Amino acid sequence: MLAVPDWTGSLRLLAPLVALAFTRPSRTEHPTPTPLDDVLTPLLARAYGLALRLLRNRADAEDLVQEAALAACRGFGTFQRGTNFKAWFFRILTNCYYARHRRQRHEGPPVDLHETPELYLYSRTAEIGLHQNAADPAQALLDRLDGEQIATALQGLPEEYRVVSTLYLVEDFSYQQIGAILDIPVGTVRSRLHRGRRILQKLLWRLALERGVVPEAAKEPG
Amino acid sequence: MNAVDRYSCEEVFRRLNDYLDRELSPAEMALVQEHLDTCAQCAGEHAFEASVLRELKAKLRRIDVPQSLIAKIDAILSDPGHREEE
Ligand SMILES: [Zn+2]
Repeated sequence: MLAVPDWTGSLRLLAPLVALAFTRPSRTEHPTPTPLDDVLTPLLARAYGLALRLLRNRADAEDLVQEAALAACRGFGTFQRGTNFKAWFFRILTNCYYARHRRQRHEGPPVDLHETPELYLYSRTAEIGLHQNAADPAQALLDRLDGEQIATALQGLPEEYRVVSTLYLVEDFSYQQIGAILDIPVGTVRSRLHRGRRILQKLLWRLALERGVVPEAAKEPG
Repeated sequence: MNAVDRYSCEEVFRRLNDYLDRELSPAEMALVQEHLDTCAQCAGEHAFEASVLRELKAKLRRIDVPQSLIAKIDAILSDPGHREEE
């Protein structure tokens, strides 16, 4: 039997905050009640996608989406019609994720957070001559890595950068929406995303070197 | 031309991430765009970063949902016992 935390209490408290961030201002007509199936079923692929990128394991990702769906059923009465259901559900999903997996440490080599400059991949790909040989050097590099390998690099980010970056990359949420989902200020979303982006570029380059998809001679500086 | 009316390379560079994510004000978006239209160096850096994000998003979003999960969620949604709050 799956242990399901009771989210309804916290969802009721948080509902006005989430509603504030996601209400469509132009909406004036009285919203009609929406059956949960109609709004949840079309989101399953995106929810599973986020869960899989966060957990890297299909069984755990299925469990997480299932747990979030149960919590959504129980708390659907607190969902404010006319607000963004996707964001509401993803907030439940990330809460479930944190409740179960926050204590798990990420694996992989430690990343030097302070030494990652801007435009890291831009500089590295220029050094190996990709800018002369390819019309789109970024695509030329990333075409050599598949989704699983990119997910591996993403997994190497420290937790606070990883969750924000994963939400940003697998969904088209704004900074404000990510802030409301994770209950952190927009400025924090911005700084974590920008810094996470720099670290991820370093991790991707490291991976490209390890997998031999860029020449061995192209060593990291420092 | 007044300096306030145009961004320097440095000012564009500082706003590049926010510009990529469309998180600047409309006025700032226009100022960055104007600079990118006329500066090949900044335009090259912007195009590279935009392409990285496009590729990462496309590859991370390519996922098939298992049928077993769809069945499990259907079962949850069709069980009235899970809907005490409605
Ligand atoms: Zn410039």
